[in-house]
Amino acid sequence: MKLTRAGDPQEINAEVIARDGRRIRVRIGDREIAAEFTPNTDGGGILAIDGRRYPIFGARRKDSILVSVGPASFEFKPAEAATRRRARGLAAAEITAPMPGKVLKVLVHDGDLVEAGQPLVVIEAMKMETTLAAESAAVVKHVRVEEGQSVDHGAVLIELSPPPASSGRESSPRDP
Amino acid sequence: MRVRVFGNYTTGAPVAIDCASFVESMARFTKLLVANRGEIALRIIRSARVFGLKTVAVYSAADANSAHVVAADEAILIGPAEAAKSYLNIAAIVDATKQSGADAIHPGYGFLSERPEFARAAADAQIVFVGPRPDVMAALGNKVAARRIAVTAGVPVVPGIETAEISAARDFAAQVNYPILIKAAAGGGGRGMRVVAEASQLETALEAAAREAAAAFGDGRIFIEKYLAHPRHVEIQILGDEHGSVIALGERDCSIQRRHQKIVEESPAPGLSNAMRVKMIDAALKLARAAHYTNAGTVEFLVEGDNFYFLEVNARLQVEHPVTEMRFGCDLVCDQLRIASGGKVSEPAAPRGVAIECRINAEDPEHDFRPATGTVLHLSVPSGPGVRFDSHLTRGAEVTPWYDGLLGKLIGYGANREEARGRLVNALGELALLGVTNNAAYLRDIIASDQFRDAKLSTHFIDEFFSRWKIGQSEIDAAIVAALITASNQQLENAALPQNSGKGRSPWDALNNFELWGSRR
Repeated sequence: MKLTRAGDPQEINAEVIARDGRRIRVRIGDREIAAEFTPNTDGGGILAIDGRRYPIFGARRKDSILVSVGPASFEFKPAEAATRRRARGLAAAEITAPMPGKVLKVLVHDGDLVEAGQPLVVIEAMKMETTLAAESAAVVKHVRVEEGQSVDHGAVLIELSPPPASSGRESSPRDP
Repeated sequence: MRVRVFGNYTTGAPVAIDCASFVESMARFTKLLVANRGEIALRIIRSARVFGLKTVAVYSAADANSAHVVAADEAILIGPAEAAKSYLNIAAIVDATKQSGADAIHPGYGFLSERPEFARAAADAQIVFVGPRPDVMAALGNKVAARRIAVTAGVPVVPGIETAEISAARDFAAQVNYPILIKAAAGGGGRGMRVVAEASQLETALEAAAREAAAAFGDGRIFIEKYLAHPRHVEIQILGDEHGSVIALGERDCSIQRRHQKIVEESPAPGLSNAMRVKMIDAALKLARAAHYTNAGTVEFLVEGDNFYFLEVNARLQVEHPVTEMRFGCDLVCDQLRIASGGKVSEPAAPRGVAIECRINAEDPEHDFRPATGTVLHLSVPSGPGVRFDSHLTRGAEVTPWYDGLLGKLIGYGANREEARGRLVNALGELALLGVTNNAAYLRDIIASDQFRDAKLSTHFIDEFFSRWKIGQSEIDAAIVAALITASNQQLENAALPQNSGKGRSPWDALNNFELWGSRR
């Protein structure tokens, strides 16, 4: 099973090798981990790995798995979609709103060539400004929102397409 | 410490415990409307009950199932989710107060708590406002006026000016040298606050700060000051009554901040000499007397070396007030109510022990503290000696993007700092919150760290020691194993419940989209 942690593009290759009652052997990348899982009455359980005991809870969502390990919370997603995008030379084909909020600033225009890490749009939610940046070099295919617009969680703000094959830094095709 | 009991235990009549030292108070009001939400609304309702008051909650459409709505004797819908149309809507809140027959308002912190026009609107409607008088609030809420009061009272201040003009800002920066700090002239809480390291960043920062200030406080005025290189943030809790007495309830060190918002607070301030403490308390009291301050307030200072500088007065209850309560064995909300009833304050008993609080926020500390939302699918709440958890969270609670992401405050108390720290670390380890990304593991690692143990405190603590924090690999491994177990659970595959469209959801619908393994057999 290929997973990614929310917010982290790195793929995790993990699978269950064997399961025998409470004992479970798992491969993570090229490492093998032996764990013992004891369910609790509260819907969670205790996971013992290398002599450490972790209280854990888990839940499945349509497109992700949520788990907590002690006070730490994690969200995992299947990696397939990310793999397809990377094959096309893009870390993400769309910039989506991580939460509902208001678009404060749109910093790019259709046709702009953007670099990895370049800020694209600023949204305001939970009384804070959050800047969304390109994860990889790309061309802005279409800006779908305007400044001042309210957006829902997951709304597509900007569509991206793969950058031109040439390696040199190009100027924006848009006239200033 | 003297403790008096009002009311009657045997008849079941309302009982009020006199926790700070109060001489007498009269019943000026009997029903309190709490103009806030989240943990502070719940916390105020609890104390109001003890004080013998009926309570009224107000709520926005996004908070219909929130804990404060459930806890109050009555609850009134005041508007849609947008704060500007609900929790910041003075007319709607005053109307709700009249409609419910409440005769007092507690504003909590944030929202309208430091808006003089709100206090004035309450007074005009013959409603007791639990806080300072509007004119005092107006004077102290304006940073320029507050500084003037401080200077007149002989309290040291950091060099600064009020302006949103780029040219005036440039001139000032040239005088005091970069870095400079830009912040909202109205309100506190770190919102709209920016450090400008060099001239080229000034214009952008000024614009963004004005925008955030206008959005957060409805007031785009900007204050610019010299940025101190390595200060600590230490503040003094004060209580003033209508009879001209003001007392101080010690200090809190709130140096550990991210994005200029406090995340860890403690009392006493580690390593602060008694001489400094006495000087700072004296300065805070002088300022409070000069301003004719009433009710609860906090005088904030920056401390660098043997110097301290007045920062601002927060004319309200602070988020971090519990650390003071733990040490002084008092209930500051009860104290506020008693002051608003005309009670007199007198010197408190000596404080005991050490209290440390941390703020559990819906945010991702591994990704620049990006705010998070979600539904609480599971909640394990810590407890035990010296552990206090102030939170409105319940299983099924929704954390929405409409308001700030404070999920709760966890406080560890002990005879000394190491005991308090140990209890807080353990309590953070007991906390489990599934469904909303939060900073609990980050806070645990901070409190458990050598740097925090050694109290290497400054407002740069996070930048210096915890800006590149990542969760430990062993916990990631455990999480991956947990994810595989969750994914492979056959029952969950069968459950495959449809994702809700998001419209008109109740917490029950939200929970039905998930299933905890092991919970249904």
